[in-house]
Amino acid sequence: MNKTLARVFFYVGISVFAALLVLPLLTLFSVSFRADADVYNPSFFPPHPTIEPYQIALEKYPLLRFLLNSFVISSLVTAGVLLISSCTGYALARISSRVTNTVFALIVGLLLVPGEVTFLPLYIMVNRLGWVDSYFALTLPFIASPIGIFLLRQFFKSLPQELFDAARLDGAGHFRMLWHIAIPLAMPALGALAALTFLGTWNMYLWPLVVTNAESLRTAQIALRFISSDEAVRYNIVGAAAVIILLPTLIAFLIAQRAFVRGIAMGSLKG
Amino acid sequence: MERSLRTNTTNRQNLRIRKDWLEMMVLLSPGLLLLFVFVVLPTVEAFALSFQREGLLGRNRVFVGLENYIEIFKSKENLQSAWQSLYFAIIVAPLEIVLAFAAALLIARPFPGVAVYRTLFFLTTAVPTGVAAIAWSWFLNPQTGWANWLLERFGLPAKTWLQDSSTALPTLAVITAWAGVGFASILLTAGLQQIPEDLYEAARIDGANGWQQFCSITIPLISPTLFLVTLLVFLRSLTAFGQIHLLTQGGPADSSMVWIYRIYQDAFFNFRQTYAAAQSVLLFLFLLLLALLQFRLVGRKVHYE
Repeated sequence: MNKTLARVFFYVGISVFAALLVLPLLTLFSVSFRADADVYNPSFFPPHPTIEPYQIALEKYPLLRFLLNSFVISSLVTAGVLLISSCTGYALARISSRVTNTVFALIVGLLLVPGEVTFLPLYIMVNRLGWVDSYFALTLPFIASPIGIFLLRQFFKSLPQELFDAARLDGAGHFRMLWHIAIPLAMPALGALAALTFLGTWNMYLWPLVVTNAESLRTAQIALRFISSDEAVRYNIVGAAAVIILLPTLIAFLIAQRAFVRGIAMGSLKG
Repeated sequence: MERSLRTNTTNRQNLRIRKDWLEMMVLLSPGLLLLFVFVVLPTVEAFALSFQREGLLGRNRVFVGLENYIEIFKSKENLQSAWQSLYFAIIVAPLEIVLAFAAALLIARPFPGVAVYRTLFFLTTAVPTGVAAIAWSWFLNPQTGWANWLLERFGLPAKTWLQDSSTALPTLAVITAWAGVGFASILLTAGLQQIPEDLYEAARIDGANGWQQFCSITIPLISPTLFLVTLLVFLRSLTAFGQIHLLTQGGPADSSMVWIYRIYQDAFFNFRQTYAAAQSVLLFLFLLLLALLQFRLVGRKVHYE
C-alpha cells in the first residue's frame, strides 16, 4: 500500500515537472491554432481551433524555402564533416608518424577555439572572397571540424590492430582499409556525429545572420527574426511559423532520439 | 641469392613506406587545408586586426599597438558588457544544472514509462534557439502571457519581463537555461548511468536507505561530471546570441548588451571592426582559460577510468 502510494507520488511529481518544462512550447502551439480574434484570449486551449494562421504564414512567407535552405546547408555540412573527419581521423589514428602526431596535437589545440570568436575575421575573409550570400559561405567553413576529427580519431584508434594487419597481408592499402574495415565498424559513431553536426548546423544563428542578406538564402532560424518583427501584433502567425520551423527537428528527434543522445553525450564529454 | 632476396624485401619495404606516406598525405591534406583556411587563419587575423585601427572611411587600417585594448579597459560600456555576460552565465549555469540534474535523477534508472519522460526532458535539444525565444516571448507577453496569469493567481504583481531593463537580462537567462535543459540532462543522465548498479545493491544489502545511497554513492561519483557539465553550460551561455538578437537586441537601455552582442554591434553597426576584433580576442582568452580548465578535468577523469 505504502509502495503504491509512493509510486503514485512519483508519477504525479515527474509528470508535473515534465509538464512545466514543455509549458512554453504548449503556449506556442496554443496560440498558433487561434483566429486573430482569439489571440488575446487567455484560455489554455484555443476557443475556436483553426489552421488559418498556418495557411497565412505559408502564403505570406516562403517558409518551405527557408526550411529547404536550412536542410541543404545542414546536409552539405554533415556530409562534408563525415567525409573529412573519417579521412583525417583515420590517418591520425592508424598511420603513425611524426607528422600525424604533430597534427593531432594541433587539432586538440583547435578544439579550444570557439566559433564565436573567429566569426568576425572569417566574415571579413568571406566578404573579400565575394562569398556573402552564397552557399559557400554557409557550408565550407564548417566542413573541417576539429571535434569531428578528434572523435573519429579516438574511435579508429580503439579498433584492434589485428584487423588491419590481416588486411595488410591481403595487400590492402589504407584507402581500402578505411573504406572496408574502419568505416563499417564506425557506423554508430558516424551516426552520432552526423546527428550532432546536423543539429548544430541547423541551429546556427549568428553566422547565417551576418553572411546572408538575400531572402532566397535565408535559413529558417534567421527567418523567424524577420517574421516576428513583421507580425508584432498577429502572434498567431508568428506562432504558426515557429511551429512549422520547429517540426523538422522535432520529428527527427523523435525518430532518431538515440543517435542524437549519443551524439551529444559523445561530442561534449569526450571533447 | 640470399642477398638479392634481402634487397628485394627492403625494396618492398621502402615502397610500402613511400606508399604509406603518399596515402597519409592524401587523407590528411583536405582536412588540414580547410582547417588552416577557416580556423587557423581567422584566429590569427583576429589578433592581427586587434592591433590596428580603421582610417577615415573605414579603409587603410593602420597599426596602433595596444590602443584598442586600452580603450576597452577604459570604456564603461565594455566593462558593463563583460559584467552582464558574467551575470547572465552565473544565472544560467546553476538554474540549468539544477533542473537538468533533477530530471536526470528521475530518468536515469528504468521504470515503466521512462521512455516518454526521457523524450520530454530531452526535448529542448530539438527546439532551435529562435523557436524557444518565440515561444517564451508569447509565454511572457505582458498582457495575456500565461506567466503573468500564473503570477496573478499567486497574488504577485504582473511583470513586463523583457521590456523592463531590470528584468530583461535575468529573463533571457531563464529562457537560455530552459533551452539548455535537454542538453544538460542528456549529459547528466549518461553520467548517472555509468555508475555501476552493484554499488547500489551492496549499499542496500548494508541497509542504506535511498537518501544515504544518494549522498554516499551518487553524489561523489557524479560530481566530476556535474562540475564538467556546469563549466560547459557556463561556457555556452557566455556566447549566447540568438535569443538576445530575437528578443531584446541588447536593450532595453543596453541592459542585455552582453559581450558577444556588443562585438556584433561594433562590427556590423558601428563599423569598428578592429575594435570588435580586440573584444573578440579578449573573449577568446577568457573562454580559453575556462576551456583549459575543462580540458584538465576531462584528462583527469579519463585517467581515473
